[in-house]
Amino acid sequence: MKLNLFEDKNNIDEHVDVYFSKMRPQIKQIIDTVNSERPSLSGRPADDDLDDGEEILIEPKEIYYLDYVDRKLFMYTGNGVYRIMKTLSECEELLWNYGFVRVSKSNLINIFKIKQLKPDLNMKVYAYFDNGERICVNRSYKKEFDEYLQRMRRMV
Amino acid sequence: MKKYFENLAFMVCLSYTVVSFSGAIINMISGSQTSNVNEIVIFVLCVIASVVLSLHGLFENLSMLAVMVIQYIAACALGTVFLLIVNIFNPISPRGWFELFRSFTIPYVVLALFYYYSVFTDTRKKDNLIKDIQKNRKEA
Repeated sequence: MKLNLFEDKNNIDEHVDVYFSKMRPQIKQIIDTVNSERPSLSGRPADDDLDDGEEILIEPKEIYYLDYVDRKLFMYTGNGVYRIMKTLSECEELLWNYGFVRVSKSNLINIFKIKQLKPDLNMKVYAYFDNGERICVNRSYKKEFDEYLQRMRRMV
Repeated sequence: MKKYFENLAFMVCLSYTVVSFSGAIINMISGSQTSNVNEIVIFVLCVIASVVLSLHGLFENLSMLAVMVIQYIAACALGTVFLLIVNIFNPISPRGWFELFRSFTIPYVVLALFYYYSVFTDTRKKDNLIKDIQKNRKEA
Protein backbone atom coordinates (compact mmCIF):
# COMPACT_ATOMS: atom_id res chain seq x y z
CA MET A 1 0.00 0.00 0.00
CA LYS A 2 1.38 3.41 -0.97
CA LEU A 3 1.87 5.83 1.93
CA ASN A 4 2.16 9.60 1.45
CA LEU A 5 3.14 11.79 4.38
CA PHE A 6 2.97 15.59 4.17
CA GLU A 7 4.55 17.76 6.84
CA ASP A 8 3.22 21.30 7.01
CA LYS A 9 4.13 23.29 10.11
CA ASN A 10 1.37 25.84 9.39
CA ASN A 11 -1.39 23.28 9.08
CA ILE A 12 -4.08 23.88 11.66
CA ASP A 13 -6.47 21.25 10.34
CA GLU A 14 -4.64 17.94 10.58
CA HIS A 15 -6.48 15.20 8.75
CA VAL A 16 -6.09 11.80 7.14
CA ASP A 17 -7.58 10.78 3.79
CA VAL A 18 -7.88 7.07 3.08
CA TYR A 19 -8.41 5.86 -0.48
CA PHE A 20 -9.42 2.25 -0.69
CA SER A 21 -11.09 -0.13 -3.14
CA LYS A 22 -12.41 -2.54 -0.55
CA MET A 23 -12.91 -2.33 3.21
CA ARG A 24 -10.21 -4.71 4.47
CA PRO A 25 -9.06 -5.30 8.06
CA GLN A 26 -5.88 -3.33 7.26
CA ILE A 27 -7.99 -0.28 6.24
CA LYS A 28 -10.22 -0.73 9.24
CA GLN A 29 -7.13 -0.81 11.47
CA ILE A 30 -6.00 2.54 10.02
CA ILE A 31 -9.46 3.97 10.73
CA ASP A 32 -9.36 2.59 14.27
CA THR A 33 -5.91 4.11 14.83
CA VAL A 34 -7.06 7.53 13.59
CA ASN A 35 -10.12 7.26 15.79
CA SER A 36 -7.81 6.23 18.66
CA GLU A 37 -9.53 2.90 18.91
CA ARG A 38 -6.47 0.79 18.23
CA PRO A 39 -6.59 -2.03 20.71
CA SER A 40 -3.76 -2.02 23.16
CA LEU A 41 -4.01 -5.12 25.27
CA SER A 42 -1.87 -4.89 28.31
CA GLY A 43 -1.15 -7.84 30.50
CA ARG A 44 1.08 -9.07 33.25
CA PRO A 45 2.94 -12.39 33.06
CA ALA A 46 0.59 -15.02 34.49
CA ASP A 47 3.21 -16.25 36.99
CA ASP A 48 3.72 -12.82 38.58
CA ASP A 49 1.62 -11.28 41.34
CA LEU A 50 -0.83 -8.68 40.09
CA ASP A 51 0.90 -5.89 42.03
CA ASP A 52 4.49 -6.88 41.29
CA GLY A 53 4.48 -7.82 37.62
CA GLU A 54 5.38 -5.33 34.96
CA GLU A 55 2.57 -4.57 32.54
CA ILE A 56 3.40 -5.42 28.93
CA LEU A 57 1.65 -4.18 25.79
CA ILE A 58 0.79 -6.95 23.37
CA GLU A 59 -0.14 -6.51 19.70
CA PRO A 60 -3.27 -8.45 18.67
CA LYS A 61 -1.29 -10.25 15.95
CA GLU A 62 0.94 -11.82 18.62
CA ILE A 63 -1.97 -13.39 20.48
CA TYR A 64 -3.00 -16.97 19.75
CA TYR A 65 -6.07 -17.10 21.93
CA LEU A 66 -7.71 -15.80 25.10
CA ASP A 67 -8.80 -18.17 27.81
CA TYR A 68 -11.17 -17.40 30.69
CA VAL A 69 -10.41 -19.67 33.65
CA ASP A 70 -11.53 -19.28 37.28
CA ARG A 71 -12.85 -15.76 36.64
CA LYS A 72 -9.47 -14.71 35.26
CA LEU A 73 -8.67 -13.89 31.66
CA PHE A 74 -5.38 -15.03 30.14
CA MET A 75 -3.90 -14.34 26.74
CA TYR A 76 -1.60 -16.85 25.14
CA THR A 77 1.19 -15.58 22.90
CA GLY A 78 4.27 -17.19 21.38
CA ASN A 79 6.35 -15.73 24.24
CA GLY A 80 4.20 -16.63 27.19
CA VAL A 81 0.93 -16.34 29.04
CA TYR A 82 -0.34 -13.00 30.31
CA ARG A 83 -3.22 -12.11 32.57
CA ILE A 84 -5.39 -9.22 31.42
CA MET A 85 -7.83 -7.18 33.43
CA LYS A 86 -10.70 -7.10 30.95
CA THR A 87 -13.71 -9.30 30.33
CA LEU A 88 -13.85 -11.73 27.43
CA SER A 89 -16.80 -9.79 25.94
CA GLU A 90 -14.80 -6.54 26.03
CA CYS A 91 -11.91 -8.25 24.25
CA GLU A 92 -14.29 -9.78 21.71
CA GLU A 93 -15.68 -6.35 20.89
CA LEU A 94 -12.20 -4.84 20.76
CA LEU A 95 -10.57 -7.54 18.65
CA TRP A 96 -13.30 -8.76 16.29
CA ASN A 97 -11.73 -6.83 13.44
CA TYR A 98 -8.31 -8.34 14.07
CA GLY A 99 -9.30 -11.93 13.37
CA PHE A 100 -10.59 -12.86 16.83
CA VAL A 101 -13.74 -14.94 17.10
CA ARG A 102 -15.52 -16.52 20.04
CA VAL A 103 -15.55 -20.33 19.84
CA SER A 104 -16.79 -21.20 23.31
CA LYS A 105 -17.95 -19.58 26.54
CA SER A 106 -14.34 -19.16 27.64
CA ASN A 107 -12.27 -18.87 24.46
CA LEU A 108 -11.59 -16.23 21.86
CA ILE A 109 -9.22 -17.38 19.11
CA ASN A 110 -7.12 -15.61 16.49
CA ILE A 111 -7.95 -17.15 13.10
CA PHE A 112 -4.68 -15.86 11.63
CA LYS A 113 -2.77 -18.15 14.01
CA ILE A 114 -4.72 -21.29 13.13
CA LYS A 115 -2.61 -23.94 11.44
CA GLN A 116 -5.46 -26.37 10.87
CA LEU A 117 -9.10 -26.91 11.73
CA LYS A 118 -9.70 -30.61 12.28
CA PRO A 119 -12.44 -32.79 13.77
CA ASP A 120 -11.59 -35.55 16.23
CA LEU A 121 -13.08 -39.01 15.94
CA ASN A 122 -15.54 -38.05 18.68
CA MET A 123 -16.82 -35.27 16.35
CA LYS A 124 -15.42 -32.38 18.41
CA VAL A 125 -13.86 -29.79 16.11
CA TYR A 126 -10.48 -28.38 17.19
CA ALA A 127 -8.50 -25.38 16.00
CA TYR A 128 -4.80 -26.33 15.99
CA PHE A 129 -2.39 -23.41 16.31
CA ASP A 130 1.11 -23.18 14.90
CA ASN A 131 2.53 -23.35 18.44
CA GLY A 132 1.13 -26.88 18.80
CA GLU A 133 -1.80 -26.01 21.09
CA ARG A 134 -5.44 -26.64 20.28
CA ILE A 135 -8.81 -25.15 21.26
CA CYS A 136 -12.21 -26.79 20.84
CA VAL A 137 -14.74 -25.01 18.62
CA ASN A 138 -17.96 -25.45 20.56
CA ARG A 139 -21.05 -26.60 18.65
CA SER A 140 -23.22 -23.80 20.03
CA TYR A 141 -20.81 -21.21 18.54
CA LYS A 142 -20.68 -22.90 15.14
CA LYS A 143 -23.11 -20.49 13.46
CA GLU A 144 -21.29 -17.37 14.72
CA PHE A 145 -17.96 -18.93 13.73
CA ASP A 146 -19.22 -19.64 10.19
CA GLU A 147 -20.65 -16.13 9.83
CA TYR A 148 -17.42 -14.59 11.08
CA LEU A 149 -15.32 -16.53 8.56
CA GLN A 150 -17.64 -15.51 5.71
CA ARG A 151 -17.46 -11.87 6.80
CA MET A 152 -13.66 -11.96 7.02
CA ARG A 153 -13.50 -13.64 3.61
CA ARG A 154 -15.44 -10.73 2.11
CA MET A 155 -13.35 -8.14 3.93
CA VAL A 156 -9.85 -9.50 3.30
CA MET B 1 -38.78 -20.91 24.42
CA LYS B 2 -41.48 -20.09 21.86
CA LYS B 3 -38.99 -20.69 19.06
CA TYR B 4 -38.01 -24.02 20.62
CA PHE B 5 -41.62 -25.23 20.58
CA GLU B 6 -42.12 -23.95 17.03
CA ASN B 7 -39.04 -25.92 15.89
CA LEU B 8 -40.18 -28.96 17.86
CA ALA B 9 -43.67 -28.84 16.29
CA PHE B 10 -42.07 -28.52 12.85
CA MET B 11 -39.80 -31.52 13.51
CA VAL B 12 -42.71 -33.64 14.79
CA CYS B 13 -44.83 -32.78 11.74
CA LEU B 14 -41.95 -33.44 9.35
CA SER B 15 -40.85 -36.73 10.91
CA TYR B 16 -44.44 -38.00 11.22
CA THR B 17 -45.18 -37.16 7.59
CA VAL B 18 -42.00 -38.85 6.35
CA VAL B 19 -42.50 -41.98 8.49
CA SER B 20 -46.22 -42.43 7.75
CA PHE B 21 -45.75 -41.65 4.05
CA SER B 22 -42.87 -44.17 3.80
CA GLY B 23 -45.03 -46.67 5.70
CA ALA B 24 -47.90 -46.11 3.27
CA ILE B 25 -45.62 -46.70 0.26
CA ILE B 26 -44.18 -49.90 1.82
CA ASN B 27 -47.74 -51.11 2.62
CA MET B 28 -48.85 -50.46 -0.97
CA ILE B 29 -45.87 -52.42 -2.34
CA SER B 30 -46.14 -55.32 0.12
CA GLY B 31 -49.97 -55.34 0.06
CA SER B 32 -50.22 -55.11 3.83
CA GLN B 33 -52.35 -52.72 5.90
CA THR B 34 -51.80 -50.61 8.98
CA SER B 35 -54.17 -49.95 11.87
CA ASN B 36 -55.30 -46.77 13.61
CA VAL B 37 -53.34 -47.78 16.73
CA ASN B 38 -50.19 -48.04 14.60
CA GLU B 39 -50.67 -44.49 13.32
CA ILE B 40 -50.98 -43.18 16.88
CA VAL B 41 -47.92 -45.19 17.96
CA ILE B 42 -45.93 -43.72 15.04
CA PHE B 43 -47.02 -40.20 16.02
CA VAL B 44 -46.09 -40.61 19.70
CA LEU B 45 -42.72 -42.17 18.81
CA CYS B 46 -42.05 -39.24 16.48
CA VAL B 47 -42.82 -36.86 19.35
CA ILE B 48 -40.51 -38.82 21.72
CA ALA B 49 -37.67 -38.92 19.17
CA SER B 50 -38.04 -35.20 18.33
CA VAL B 51 -38.09 -34.16 22.00
CA VAL B 52 -35.05 -36.30 22.86
CA LEU B 53 -33.06 -35.11 19.83
CA SER B 54 -33.99 -31.47 20.48
CA LEU B 55 -32.30 -31.68 23.90
CA HIS B 56 -28.82 -31.92 22.38
CA GLY B 57 -27.98 -28.48 23.86
CA LEU B 58 -27.94 -30.00 27.35
CA PHE B 59 -24.96 -32.17 26.39
CA GLU B 60 -22.84 -29.33 25.04
CA ASN B 61 -19.70 -30.42 26.87
CA LEU B 62 -19.87 -34.01 25.65
CA SER B 63 -18.60 -35.18 22.29
CA MET B 64 -21.17 -35.51 19.50
CA LEU B 65 -20.61 -39.26 19.38
CA ALA B 66 -21.45 -39.60 23.08
CA VAL B 67 -24.51 -37.37 22.62
CA MET B 68 -25.76 -39.57 19.78
CA VAL B 69 -25.40 -42.74 21.85
CA ILE B 70 -27.06 -41.15 24.93
CA GLN B 71 -29.94 -39.80 22.82
CA TYR B 72 -30.41 -43.17 21.12
CA ILE B 73 -30.58 -44.99 24.46
CA ALA B 74 -32.93 -42.33 25.93
CA ALA B 75 -35.25 -42.45 22.90
CA CYS B 76 -35.31 -46.27 22.97
CA ALA B 77 -36.01 -46.28 26.72
CA LEU B 78 -38.88 -43.78 26.45
CA GLY B 79 -40.25 -45.61 23.39
CA THR B 80 -40.15 -48.89 25.35
CA VAL B 81 -42.02 -47.33 28.29
CA PHE B 82 -44.67 -46.02 25.91
CA LEU B 83 -45.02 -49.40 24.17
CA LEU B 84 -45.31 -51.18 27.52
CA ILE B 85 -48.33 -48.94 28.22
CA VAL B 86 -49.75 -49.67 24.75
CA ASN B 87 -49.09 -53.37 25.36
CA ILE B 88 -51.55 -53.34 28.29
CA PHE B 89 -54.46 -52.32 26.01
CA ASN B 90 -53.30 -53.81 22.73
CA PRO B 91 -50.79 -56.69 23.09
CA ILE B 92 -47.69 -56.40 20.89
CA SER B 93 -46.18 -59.56 19.42
CA PRO B 94 -42.42 -60.31 19.91
CA ARG B 95 -41.98 -59.67 16.18
CA GLY B 96 -43.65 -56.26 16.67
CA TRP B 97 -41.05 -55.28 19.28
CA PHE B 98 -38.22 -56.37 17.00
CA GLU B 99 -39.69 -54.48 14.02
CA LEU B 100 -40.09 -51.35 16.10
CA PHE B 101 -36.47 -51.21 17.26
CA ARG B 102 -35.21 -52.14 13.81
CA SER B 103 -37.26 -49.40 12.14
CA PHE B 104 -35.98 -46.87 14.69
CA THR B 105 -32.32 -48.00 14.69
CA ILE B 106 -31.72 -48.15 10.92
CA PRO B 107 -32.71 -44.53 10.08
CA TYR B 108 -30.97 -43.32 13.27
CA VAL B 109 -27.66 -44.99 12.35
CA VAL B 110 -27.92 -43.85 8.70
CA LEU B 111 -28.59 -40.24 9.75
CA ALA B 112 -25.82 -40.41 12.39
CA LEU B 113 -23.32 -41.57 9.74
CA PHE B 114 -24.52 -38.80 7.42
CA TYR B 115 -24.04 -36.25 10.21
CA TYR B 116 -20.58 -37.69 10.98
CA TYR B 117 -19.61 -37.29 7.33
CA SER B 118 -21.07 -33.75 7.16
CA VAL B 119 -18.99 -32.68 10.22
CA PHE B 120 -15.80 -33.77 8.44
CA THR B 121 -16.66 -32.13 5.08
CA ASP B 122 -17.89 -28.93 6.75
CA THR B 123 -14.69 -28.68 8.84
CA ARG B 124 -12.54 -29.23 5.74
CA LYS B 125 -14.42 -26.41 3.96
CA LYS B 126 -13.89 -24.06 6.91
CA ASP B 127 -10.22 -25.02 7.12
CA ASN B 128 -9.80 -24.09 3.43
CA LEU B 129 -11.65 -20.82 4.06
CA ILE B 130 -9.30 -19.95 6.93
CA LYS B 131 -6.25 -20.71 4.76
CA ASP B 132 -7.77 -18.55 2.02
CA ILE B 133 -8.27 -15.63 4.46
CA GLN B 134 -4.71 -16.01 5.77
CA LYS B 135 -3.29 -16.11 2.22
CA ASN B 136 -5.27 -13.04 1.11
CA ARG B 137 -4.17 -11.13 4.17
CA LYS B 138 -0.51 -11.89 3.49
CA GLU B 139 -0.92 -10.71 -0.10
CA ALA B 140 -2.75 -7.49 0.92
